[in-house]
Amino acid sequence: MLTLLFRSFIRSTGVKIGLGFLLTAGLVSLLVGRQFLDRQHRHHREVVAAQQADLRQLAEFNSKEMGLMLYYAPFALVNETLPLAGLSIGQRDVNPSIQRLTIRGLEGQKYDADLNNPSNLLLGNIDFSFVLIYLFPLLIIAFTYSVVSEERENGTWRVVAVQSRNLMGFIAQLFAVRLAVVLGLLVLLLGGGVAVLGLPLDAPFWLFAATAVLYVLGWFGICFWVASLHRPSSTNAVLLITTWLGLLVVVPAAVNQYLLTRYPLPEALATTVKQRRGYHEKWDMPQAPTVAKFYAHYPQFKHYPLPNTSFNWLWYYAMQQMGDDESARESGELRQKLYQREAASRQFGLWLPSVHAQLRLNDLARSGLGNQVRFLDETTRFHERLRLYFYPKIFEEYPVKAENWDQHFVETFADRSPIRVADFLLPPLLFALLLAGLGWLNFRRHLYHL
Amino acid sequence: MLQALDLTKRYPSGASERPALDALNLTIAPGEIFCLLGQNGAGKTTTINLFLGFLQPTSGQAVIDGLNVADHPLETRKRLAYLPETVMLYPNLNGLENLNFFASLAGFRYTPDELRHLLTRAGLQAEAHLKRLGTYSKGMRQKVGIAIALAKQAKALLLDEPTSGLDPKAANEFSDLLLDLGNSGTAILMATHDIFRAKEVGTRIGIMREGRLVETMPTNDLTASELEAVYLQTV
Repeated sequence: MLTLLFRSFIRSTGVKIGLGFLLTAGLVSLLVGRQFLDRQHRHHREVVAAQQADLRQLAEFNSKEMGLMLYYAPFALVNETLPLAGLSIGQRDVNPSIQRLTIRGLEGQKYDADLNNPSNLLLGNIDFSFVLIYLFPLLIIAFTYSVVSEERENGTWRVVAVQSRNLMGFIAQLFAVRLAVVLGLLVLLLGGGVAVLGLPLDAPFWLFAATAVLYVLGWFGICFWVASLHRPSSTNAVLLITTWLGLLVVVPAAVNQYLLTRYPLPEALATTVKQRRGYHEKWDMPQAPTVAKFYAHYPQFKHYPLPNTSFNWLWYYAMQQMGDDESARESGELRQKLYQREAASRQFGLWLPSVHAQLRLNDLARSGLGNQVRFLDETTRFHERLRLYFYPKIFEEYPVKAENWDQHFVETFADRSPIRVADFLLPPLLFALLLAGLGWLNFRRHLYHL
Repeated sequence: MLQALDLTKRYPSGASERPALDALNLTIAPGEIFCLLGQNGAGKTTTINLFLGFLQPTSGQAVIDGLNVADHPLETRKRLAYLPETVMLYPNLNGLENLNFFASLAGFRYTPDELRHLLTRAGLQAEAHLKRLGTYSKGMRQKVGIAIALAKQAKALLLDEPTSGLDPKAANEFSDLLLDLGNSGTAILMATHDIFRAKEVGTRIGIMREGRLVETMPTNDLTASELEAVYLQTV
């Protein structure tokens, strides 16, 4: 009987067109992901090659002064790009995955971004997560808006109801057939992802797949519930499209607006201004107070005396340091607010399947805001390590040639923040079960009503 | 087999008006073919829907094989087969698949040969068996509907103007089929506008008007024209 239901469903032209369209969109998304990963890997290779070459060249040109050498010398930190990021690009297209820093003031360098074509950013990427989160629901709606209601409208239901020994089971089978087809497509695309993007079949991948499946189940829950309301197909269609618009466009926009208002970031501008003033105004001030503050920050460097010259590197890097130190409060608040925004969106995600799926897929792909903020934190630590390593060498005028520049490899940040499986699976599972349960109750009430 | 006991249905919207079905009392024994005649809105389809359990009676009982429909909807439906005025099936499945589908819904497993035999018995020509239902005429769909009813081997058959889409030849074959079923012990309730066919196949005829069964008579006493005269007088 399932076979016959499946045949009846799949033979419809609309179903074939819908499946073909989504399959095409899915394959395009995999190619988009492939391109993205290729670009990331190319940048990584280029940066690795450039760092060795740059350092050698700079060491040759600035061989006399360690301070001058480090004025120019860039050191790169790479935010590791997982193959999964090819499925869910998240914010990786806006936020750079590579930071190239000198040991000068950090705040002035930390938020540098790549050049992007703004119209590309506006349109966003057609990555797999877009196809899953935005397009799959449309297909699910198209497949299910008229289940049962259409049979009632054209009269099949009367015969079905009289014939069937288990009408609830029959309704379940109608949905099961559609669910199987949609999940089949999802599995096909994920399989394609494994082939095209070289995804390893590790725990994050399976969790990614499970999250995607539960998102689909959530939409089936919504459709099942709407079908159970015993309304005409046309009303179902309007209800479902409205839900789609609400869950995917209106509510996320509203949530975003709320987050922007609730956690505004005036600190972003304030940090820049403070950092610049903190550094630049020191040029017009006596050297000693600046250096005293520097000593207070790093007591371990107190034994390097301030040279009695109009310019010296201890004073210069102390000025740079003051830019960071004096904007530290604003910088900390900025970071704090970013974390708060992230935490607040997670709260919303508990209730909104669309937001949940987007956030969690980005979590697994390490491409979300959380990853970016942790990368910035790691950038700060990386920068601090460089400073602590090079400050003594600058202050004691260590010969540039004596430093083994080749040992300064490009470092990679691998985000290993913990992942709790329950956070990923429980909210959408409960959402789907709740709607399925409510739908079940409704159906039971109206089962034999014509 | 089929029994209506003071069966009354009043639709909520028309509470002040007359009931759609007013205290219907009726017994149809196994092997009997009871034809309900009456104008549109006389209560024929309401009667059938009450037996099918699609409607809940306001008072009284619809009883099938000794079981009250309102209390045992599943059990009573198992004993029923039903043929609506317009049979709507799955357009993407062919005739054989539709029959197979609806038979399995009722829990029956038939071999393809048995299914073909049922379709042929219902009067559907063999070359149509494997064509998609979407290409069928109304009469052909009706025949698949008949085959579905046959496949259920029900003790009672409810027919709601079953011949309305059939050409005279098919209607004639259908009458023969009904007589066959009647002879083999199926209780049949048929709502119809077709006085002559009612006279031909029915063992008894009831005439309904405004929700009431106003006249019941056996058919063997009457000629078709007498019956028509009675009908026209009554309604």
